[in-house]
Amino acid sequence: MKRIVFLLVVLTMLLAACAPNTATSAQPAATNPPVATDAPAVPGEFDINNWDSVLVAAKGQTVNWYIWGGSDSINAFVDNFYGVALKERYGITLNRIPIADTVDAVNQVLSEKQAGADPGAVDLIWINGENFFTLKQANLLYPDWAQKLPNSQYVNWDNPAINRDFGNPVDNLESPWSSAQLQLVYDSARMNADELPRSYADFKTWACAHPGRAAYVAPGAGGFIGTRFVKGALFEISGGAEQWATFDQALWDKWSPELWKYFNELESCLWRNGETYPKDEAELKNLFANNEVDFSMTNDITGAGTGIAAGLLPATSRAFVFNNYMIGDFNYVAIPSNAPHKAAALALANLLLEPEFQAAQILPENGFGLGYAIDVNRVTDSAALAALEAASTKLGDSATPASDLANSLVGDAAPEYQNLIEQGWLENVLQK
Amino acid sequence: MRSHPLFSPWFSLAPALTIVTVLLGASLVYGVAQSLGLMSVIGQDTLSLDAYRNLFTGQGMAGREFWGSLAFSLWVSIASTLISSALALLVAVWLSERRGSGGAENLALNWNLAFPHLVWSVALLLFLSQSGLLARWAAAAGIIQTPADFPVLVRDRYGIGITLHYVSKEIPFLALIILAVLRTQPAGYDLVAENLGASRWQRLRYVTLPQVAPALLSGALLVFAFIFSSYEVPALLGVNYPRMLPALALRFFNDPDLRSRADGMAISLVITVIVLIVAAVSLKKGEQK
Repeated sequence: MKRIVFLLVVLTMLLAACAPNTATSAQPAATNPPVATDAPAVPGEFDINNWDSVLVAAKGQTVNWYIWGGSDSINAFVDNFYGVALKERYGITLNRIPIADTVDAVNQVLSEKQAGADPGAVDLIWINGENFFTLKQANLLYPDWAQKLPNSQYVNWDNPAINRDFGNPVDNLESPWSSAQLQLVYDSARMNADELPRSYADFKTWACAHPGRAAYVAPGAGGFIGTRFVKGALFEISGGAEQWATFDQALWDKWSPELWKYFNELESCLWRNGETYPKDEAELKNLFANNEVDFSMTNDITGAGTGIAAGLLPATSRAFVFNNYMIGDFNYVAIPSNAPHKAAALALANLLLEPEFQAAQILPENGFGLGYAIDVNRVTDSAALAALEAASTKLGDSATPASDLANSLVGDAAPEYQNLIEQGWLENVLQK
Repeated sequence: MRSHPLFSPWFSLAPALTIVTVLLGASLVYGVAQSLGLMSVIGQDTLSLDAYRNLFTGQGMAGREFWGSLAFSLWVSIASTLISSALALLVAVWLSERRGSGGAENLALNWNLAFPHLVWSVALLLFLSQSGLLARWAAAAGIIQTPADFPVLVRDRYGIGITLHYVSKEIPFLALIILAVLRTQPAGYDLVAENLGASRWQRLRYVTLPQVAPALLSGALLVFAFIFSSYEVPALLGVNYPRMLPALALRFFNDPDLRSRADGMAISLVITVIVLIVAAVSLKKGEQK
């Protein structure tokens, strides 16, 4: 008897301990019986080609938006701007579901698919890159809608940076929300602008002249900004970004030893001699704010502005870029194929592209701080155009000057390189 | 009375058994299927042992890190279990010798059990990291020059932070188990030994230890199994490399490429098997007593 009780205790602890690995994925199978697929999921049917029918169907729905919830200021922006407008204009309730990592939403959709749960729980996901790759690979995205949104007219779909997501064709499966570009942050109270490194080669020289004062985020899960930093170095060392837009194993085999050589030489000059690296942007930001290192990193178009407004960075922080190879990209929203409220999700995706909200999203005081997804030149309404142009000029000193951003901008490498870089860095730099 | 079917142990265990069998059983079946490469959403319907073969032969992305991770997991789990068992024994013996004022002792032992592991490890991080409170205080007091001179106690290569966390969390847990045993034992054994001239150490070794050994062993094995298979503490207090097995498993389970999930699941099942072996050993030990 005692044995059984003991075994039960052990099993229960194992169950508790394994929760993130196994229990979550099996949960829907165990607890939610598959919903009959013939039951109508949406009370009102709609035709995507007739926008009014979408809005009629969406009225009264609640849209479950799975969105990375790690930033209080972004959460507040979403609730105060989109939440309010959805309710007032379309009678839609926004249910923002904060997640720690977008892969959680991806796993939710995958488990729903495996359990046969249709309709599922997710209406809209803030997504890009590898998570889009996963859902596209599994064929779990609602197809053929992004370019049918009325506000899609403002999006420059001919731009390869928009119609390819980490090199993977978007194929009308996701609609852009905002843009971002890798930048570095320094404290103007600690150093002058003319001392700043302006290339990866400079960065190494600077780091070795100031041992222990530089760090970058470890590439890998959660350290996506670090992966991007390493890719930039790959571009500089190989002397060009375009060749990396399509996957070429021979090219990788040729340049990757050079890349690891650069980072290994850099390593001994880094914070804690490169014994470990900041795991994510927040950790690097802390080190920077605590005066342990002299550079932080950001993807925000507002540069250091959002961090300053949130009290996380000193007010004298400024963003800057190298002269070339600073990767920029767009991020998107996608609708799972088993979304219960597709009409409301479409209405929200369309609202994100509304010029007035695009103008609001780049202002540091609103707390979002990412750039436009729309092409300002396509906006014809003069008031909206004026608002967009005014917003760009209000970014202030803490942002990288727009011309610097544009001059250094390059597109991302093909998605196949993502794992090669992250795993290669782990094995050739961190573990060496 | 005992023979009435309602009082059969299986019947009274039924609710717990049902939950464990359904939840754990379904997870296990699903996990085993995925570790064998079954992933119907991307059209993979054939079973293969590739994930396991790669792990054990050290091939592929997950395999190359697997043995190192396993060694690191064992090191952290065994070190934490041994240190916390030894210290818990001392604390329990010390407390049981000063019989009487139970309230304060219980509070001292119980207060940190109330903190979830997650909260406790974040607290450790805030106190002990190089930009943490202690580092700042030490720098302000002039003991070290800058906060960065503070020794690396969390997020370190050797798992010191993780071990510190588990030791501080598990000492009270194990001490309470030992204390419960000690308090049911008559003080006579100890007094007789003392009268016969046994030293303090001899009494601990030949009187107290045999009394508490079965409970301590079961408790220690539980603690080992828990540490070996838990994720959040190594994720928060560990470094990117080496990683404990659960952190490695989740890394591959969350890989953008769905085919990598088999590796993550295979690692999870290796963890499960090791924990089950530990449980079986502890049952065997319990039988011998």
